[in-house]
Amino acid sequence: MTSPGQPPHDPDADPKAELRVIAAETPPDSTLNDSFVVLSAGGAAVLAVVFAVALLAGGPLPLYGGALAAGLLLLAVAVRRYFTDRFPDVEAVEPRAIPGAEAAENEPLADVAPVGPRRTFLKRFLLAAGAVFGVGIAVPPIASLGPAPRSTLRTTAWREGRRLVTTDGVPVRAADIAEGGLASLWPEGAVGEERAAVVLLRLSDPPRPPTVAAWVVAPGLVAYSKVCTHAGCPVALYRERDNALFCPCHQSTFDPSRGAVPTFGPAARALPQLPLGVDADGFLVALGDFQAPVGPAFD
Amino acid sequence: MTPLFALLFDRLDERLALRSPSRKVANKVFPHHWSFLLGEVALFSLVVLVATGIFLTMFYRPSTQSTVYTGSLELYQGRAVPAAFESILRLSHDIPGGLLFRRIHRGASHLFIAASVLHMLRIVLTGAFRRPREINYQLGLGLLTFAFMAGFTGYSLPYDSLAGTGIRIAYSELLSFPFIGDRMAFWVFGGDFPTGDVIPRFFVFHVLLLPAIILGAVGLHLLLVGRQRHTQFPARGIDGHAMILGKPLWPAQFAESATLILWLGGLLTAAAVFIPWSDVSLLGPYVPGEVGNNAQPDWFLFWVDGALRIFPPFEVRLPGVVISGPFVAGILLPGAVFTGLALYPFLERRVYGLRGDWHVLQNPLDIPLRAGVALGTFSFVLLLSAAATNDILSRLTGIPIEDVLLFFRVTCLVVPPLLGLGIASYARRRLRARGRVVARDEREAVRSYVPEPHGPTAAPPPQQAAPASPVRPD
Ligand code: FES
Repeated sequence: MTSPGQPPHDPDADPKAELRVIAAETPPDSTLNDSFVVLSAGGAAVLAVVFAVALLAGGPLPLYGGALAAGLLLLAVAVRRYFTDRFPDVEAVEPRAIPGAEAAENEPLADVAPVGPRRTFLKRFLLAAGAVFGVGIAVPPIASLGPAPRSTLRTTAWREGRRLVTTDGVPVRAADIAEGGLASLWPEGAVGEERAAVVLLRLSDPPRPPTVAAWVVAPGLVAYSKVCTHAGCPVALYRERDNALFCPCHQSTFDPSRGAVPTFGPAARALPQLPLGVDADGFLVALGDFQAPVGPAFD
Repeated sequence: MTPLFALLFDRLDERLALRSPSRKVANKVFPHHWSFLLGEVALFSLVVLVATGIFLTMFYRPSTQSTVYTGSLELYQGRAVPAAFESILRLSHDIPGGLLFRRIHRGASHLFIAASVLHMLRIVLTGAFRRPREINYQLGLGLLTFAFMAGFTGYSLPYDSLAGTGIRIAYSELLSFPFIGDRMAFWVFGGDFPTGDVIPRFFVFHVLLLPAIILGAVGLHLLLVGRQRHTQFPARGIDGHAMILGKPLWPAQFAESATLILWLGGLLTAAAVFIPWSDVSLLGPYVPGEVGNNAQPDWFLFWVDGALRIFPPFEVRLPGVVISGPFVAGILLPGAVFTGLALYPFLERRVYGLRGDWHVLQNPLDIPLRAGVALGTFSFVLLLSAAATNDILSRLTGIPIEDVLLFFRVTCLVVPPLLGLGIASYARRRLRARGRVVARDEREAVRSYVPEPHGPTAAPPPQQAAPASPVRPD
């Protein structure tokens, strides 16, 4: 590593000295290497042409993708070879100190200073005014980014008399849901309005409190919000084994026979129950909006 | 230098006085170690990301409006899907090379984040964060969070069923901020979810805002490395505190970097040929109110997802504010991990009364506190990540999900502290057995593991024989 007679590092040496080579290995002369570089670089170029032609001619992805991958890898080999072949392998040391670090240690940053007595008040006032100015021009654009939430998150599209419809907009009768069956429904005219989604189930036994019995359409039809009270995923799965509503995102489980209270997982609040009724034509309707906020906590 | 290049350089040099700075840059010495390549891998993946990303941007349509797909993929022919999803289908199946570049982009994003995480691990374990490099270390942690955001927004843009679920959870996380959550969520999403603005906004974040921040921060990160110089592992006979041992930028480091970026390009392309990264045509478009099983984020957010899963039901309502589980597990906890990492350098310095600047890397076992904190933190994050697969584990093993959850709740609380304390006490005993203490400043530390070449006790390094590379202890 060291050349004879030269210590690897002399602490008294000039700390500002530049790079000092302490070992250099010259690559051997070899025409073999030259032809290696030529072959690999040439191969890479050919593969690039294959890539271009195959891609332009609508060839399959494995062909042009493979050609590009192989070409890049070959080119890497060529570049590597070229450098190891052309340049000595050098090991060098260099001082760490950032040049000029000590020289100007105590000098002021600039040679021009304010005149007169120190006007601390002026400086502070200017800074404060600048800060107010900065905040003042930043707030309106940020506020314009979205509407004020107001009551948006506390209400949904459910109104008294609004029918429950399928994703295709078809209203539903009580008889459409078999025992143990369930459907994912929307308010009429608001299909896809995520926070209004409900699951409708027909339970075999009449649900117990805290399910509101007045909102159960006999026998055993209840509707709950489909938006998980944990982080808002759709509570999309129904587990027959224990009659549980199940959220696939973080496995919160709700018991529809008891007001959809959470029974397992990270959710902390029951799924709000939709006031459910039947209109004059026999279709299922809402008797009003949810009585509790839907979905994850906010405020 | 080729004559043409020399001529060009001379013309520029006459006008810009480039010779001396160029010489200085070319002569800069770079220490060598395989782990120093991790940062470079991240950097070059970023280059690949930008290059392929520009191509993808040409075809992507940031809109959720329903559009009929009329391309060549039979499964979706004539179906109305969100425009963003439609444009990804078109890009992947009807534009020559589109699928290849999309997969390379996706692969490079995984590599970018993975390499950044490993790079951060290397910095933490070897102590490269110590004074004077605390600022650059913190900048790096900031970069990592922005990389996570870029990864997440990129994952969301196709607006497939997984993306929609991810966006919904992100929306709920914003909502969960006490007091200003609803406002913040509306600012970011342009209204209540799912609005027509989500995808245009995420598009701006992903192709403009985040890349600008990341590229700017990477530039600064490199500038600071250049200014403060690279750290290095101890090398026999070299006073690493005052000198850098390595290879000059030109030609050795340049050759290595050029080779590395070509290798990376080649491997990413090969991976794109063999791995069907996120084939959105199989997932289907996002439909509000629907979600499948196996709703999982990208791997780098598993730990946050795991925390959301195992955190017990929690919602405290105070007048006007609510603190909820998703806020604690999804915002506070990751925030605390990152803040803790960012502040750790100061803790270590305080605890051991360290002095001065540090440039020589260490074995983490030489600093018991660091060994403990690192193993504790990273085992915690890994266990949380594993917890994000609790439903899959339960299905595979047949163990009820309740028991799997309980297992993770207990292990996440108990195992990391035990591991941390265990390794810290092992490190302490190890130091004692070797008759050493934690060095207070680097001069002391270097002496303890690098025998002084001219010191009275250490054997002088061989002066006549000239091995090709320095001998490293350990
Ligand atoms: S969103 Fe339903 S459990 Fe988390």
